[in-house]
Amino acid sequence: MNRFRAFINGADIRRFRFWVQLGFFFLLVYGGYFMINLGQSLPTFSCGFNQPGRAGVCYLLPLQHQTHIPWDSIISGRGLGILTGLLTFLAWLFVFNKAWCGYACPLGTIQDWMTSLRQKLGIRYATYNLDWFTRLKKIKYILLILLIVIPFLMANSVAGLPKLPDDMGTPFCKICPARMVIPAMTGDFSQWTVDFSTGTAAAMTGLGMLVLGIFFVGGFINKRFFCFFCPMSALHSLFSKVALLKLRKDGSKCTRCGDCYRACDMQIREIADDVESTTLVKDDCMMCFKCVAACPEEGALKASFMNIPIYESTEAGFFKRMTKRGKK
Amino acid sequence: MSAEAQVKQIEMVRRQLSRESAEALNKIEKDFPDNPKSMDYFYDLYRRVHCEGEAPHGDKKVIGTTCVQVPEELIYAVGAVPVRLCNGSHTFDQLGAEFMPAKSCSLVKATLGMLSSEVASWLDQGGDIVNVTTCDQKTKAGRLMEEAGYRVHHLELPPSKESEAARTYWQSNVNGFARSLESVTGHKITRNGLRDAIVRVGRAQQAYRRLHRLRMSPLAPILGKDVFLVTNAYFFDDIDSWTDAVEVLNDEIERRCEEGFGAAQRRAPRILFTGSPPIFPNLKLPTLIEQSGAVIVADETCSANRMLYDVVNVDEWQLYDMVDALADRALKPCTCPIFVSDEDRKRRLLELARTFAVDGVVYQAFSGCQVFEMEQRSISRFLADEGIPSLYVETDYSPDDLGQLSTRIEAFIESLKARRRRK
Repeated sequence: MNRFRAFINGADIRRFRFWVQLGFFFLLVYGGYFMINLGQSLPTFSCGFNQPGRAGVCYLLPLQHQTHIPWDSIISGRGLGILTGLLTFLAWLFVFNKAWCGYACPLGTIQDWMTSLRQKLGIRYATYNLDWFTRLKKIKYILLILLIVIPFLMANSVAGLPKLPDDMGTPFCKICPARMVIPAMTGDFSQWTVDFSTGTAAAMTGLGMLVLGIFFVGGFINKRFFCFFCPMSALHSLFSKVALLKLRKDGSKCTRCGDCYRACDMQIREIADDVESTTLVKDDCMMCFKCVAACPEEGALKASFMNIPIYESTEAGFFKRMTKRGKK
Repeated sequence: MSAEAQVKQIEMVRRQLSRESAEALNKIEKDFPDNPKSMDYFYDLYRRVHCEGEAPHGDKKVIGTTCVQVPEELIYAVGAVPVRLCNGSHTFDQLGAEFMPAKSCSLVKATLGMLSSEVASWLDQGGDIVNVTTCDQKTKAGRLMEEAGYRVHHLELPPSKESEAARTYWQSNVNGFARSLESVTGHKITRNGLRDAIVRVGRAQQAYRRLHRLRMSPLAPILGKDVFLVTNAYFFDDIDSWTDAVEVLNDEIERRCEEGFGAAQRRAPRILFTGSPPIFPNLKLPTLIEQSGAVIVADETCSANRMLYDVVNVDEWQLYDMVDALADRALKPCTCPIFVSDEDRKRRLLELARTFAVDGVVYQAFSGCQVFEMEQRSISRFLADEGIPSLYVETDYSPDDLGQLSTRIEAFIESLKARRRRK
């Protein structure tokens, strides 16, 4: 058992992650061709516009349909639909927590591939300075609120104001890069257009194309560029405290050397500097556990599932990874 | 002074130095029974370098460093060898008194004394030094080294390490240092060169960490005076030979642990050593502690643990990421008292005291080392609150206070023993 533990803790998390991500990428992007259907409430960007390849649908799409609901029908079958959708979403999240972002999300995986490409070319990454970082982070919550409120305002008139135009459709999907990127993976580029049928549609799809451009440039120079603004990540973080998979820290063992902070693609400073908290899944965390692999202190950081440690930082593991990667 | 008189004086200093080193080494080696066999490598190294004045690196380009914050991997990457200049000799301390105010730190004085004496085998006159602006005395000493004819790169360290601004400031200074190294040596830092240097230093640190961990054993397998000698040799020894010698020592220590062999008595109080760094030949305090029947099991000083413990993590093995990573390693975990906050030092001491089952802490401050003197109150109070007895010792390189020190140390160790019996 101890030898098994040592083997796991000495593992190269990058390689493990690469293969898991690749597996999920195929499952979520092409699974539909094999009749796989994981339902409508996946807590990850398994894009609904990717038909017939999708193996399930990103929860944000049905959520925007469901909140397009008049006041008086909330207490009815449709209201119940919102509830079951949310509960299914939470059930998925409850088990794997934000590892959906770090291991499953196809859009995240594509960004990681762009990062590998940049790295291979020897081009330096960009980072945000801390002030900007704390400001920009809030965008994802604003997007989350908007994607719930706008469909609702399309169906209801609040305080005597006119309803929003119906052609805003599923507003977040219109500007989400996944709508264009994920179907393109199955050869479907039909989303890469600006819809001029109405003014609103043109504005929204035009904005979408702009975001797509920013996604490619930003994702190339910045690690996990889009994830800082992702409303799915915001939705996760509202519930991530109760999930079974956790990232734990023992502050007394931490020397604040910052090795984990350096490894973190999401620039989460607390992972190194916070020595008080015992669980450290910040709202941007994608639970990739690169920090655990980067930590040289015995048991200072660990990934645990139902309080059972599954991957732990060890000195031996640290040096094993360092010598291996430094040899290339 | 006539040329002849000067030669005579240099000869005198050399003789005095070699006598001082030989005495200290004799005490460390001969006054204790059962030294590990593999310590002979180190005893012999000190004999050759300190007593006989052998130059440790031959013809290689040597770059002097003055503090642990210098990322030595960069120096290896330009094909040069870093040698830490911080000096522990009373002979040089007296020589250096000429350059510094009366009440300044022995370490800084001795370093300046060595650099101005032409006796040092470490660095040629006019050689290159990188001096980190840590405490006031070291900062100004950098200027004095320039006056003594050395080429000095002043590596600016921020006075606090918490803010992100301090971190980026330091990173850009380290990048500047890398560029200046390239122009001084005429060698470019390449990706492969730096990666190899990082792995090389990493291997040394891994060996050190193994030694460190072995000392957790309930029956102390090696004395602290030997470990200080080992870590101190890292200042000047060839890094690969050093690492190999430490691994050989580790194997022997591990055998000792398995056989249940103790380097000290079973009931010897376990000491954590902190404060101003013991540097050969000034191992006065550690030797005294262990002669009085205690054993040093861990330390928090910049000539040992703080220098070798914290390892660098590189995320992308490209130059841009490696240099920043080295900068972070030098700044973020550093527990040097020059920083505004002492939180990390307290946490480190507490963690060491717990994991090494320490009975008491000895806090050494060189008189004149203001920052360690200033942190003494808060650290002592913190340790007292945590229920860990501590002894604060203010001393310097002169042997004059030996008698008074040994009385205090013995009393402290007796009190630790009594405390153990009561438990």
